[in-house]
Amino acid sequence: MWSGFLLALGACLCNVVFFANFPEQRALPWLSVLLAVVAIILLAIGLWRVFGQPRVDRGKILSSILSLVSLLLAGVAIFAFFHARALPPSSSAPQVGQKAPNFTLADTTGHPVSLDQLFAPAAGDSQGIPPPRAVLLIFYRGYW
Amino acid sequence: MDPPEVSRDLSNKAGYTFTILSDPNAEVIRRYDLLHVGGGPDGHDIARPAELLVDSSRVVRWVNFTEDVRVRARADEMLAAAKDLR
Repeated sequence: MWSGFLLALGACLCNVVFFANFPEQRALPWLSVLLAVVAIILLAIGLWRVFGQPRVDRGKILSSILSLVSLLLAGVAIFAFFHARALPPSSSAPQVGQKAPNFTLADTTGHPVSLDQLFAPAAGDSQGIPPPRAVLLIFYRGYW
Repeated sequence: MDPPEVSRDLSNKAGYTFTILSDPNAEVIRRYDLLHVGGGPDGHDIARPAELLVDSSRVVRWVNFTEDVRVRARADEMLAAAKDLR
């Protein structure tokens, strides 16, 4: 019973750990779902055992509450898993070997900057500094 | 999607030295087919997370289109991709 609760808690915590940004983070979504599923199985076994006992006691009430909370936590973890993966296919996005479309957008001071401009040598005291060989484009969702 | 002022605050606060561009109407995001319709808070459109390394002839050399918004390219992965270009 308690182990089911702990696993459900762990499944939810997996979502927080993403911000630690450690190397094996690709495995985290799968770990969170695995923990949630095992938690639900353990809860079911726990409940079956407690309610299988003939006498009525506090154990039944406590385990019911614990199951409800754990089920909620596991549900949140499983929902987060599917929600986070609901991304568009982006099948027409530029792939390796293809040419990236040029664009012009405003920088933080409102000045227009084009992709081609980003490859230009740095202005001012740039003697000896070669122009960049590559530009890394990062599309993000606002602050993260 | 943030307007330039929001990006400027972020950039100043975090001390970023790289160029941050704003695409408030998602024109470039659409051109790159990276629009996540209804993916933002309040259900408005937003960019899907994506990282592309482009060389000086504008050819894409490395990409990362994550399957999970929580998993992004790490700095060391992006640096390794950039080093591989040489």
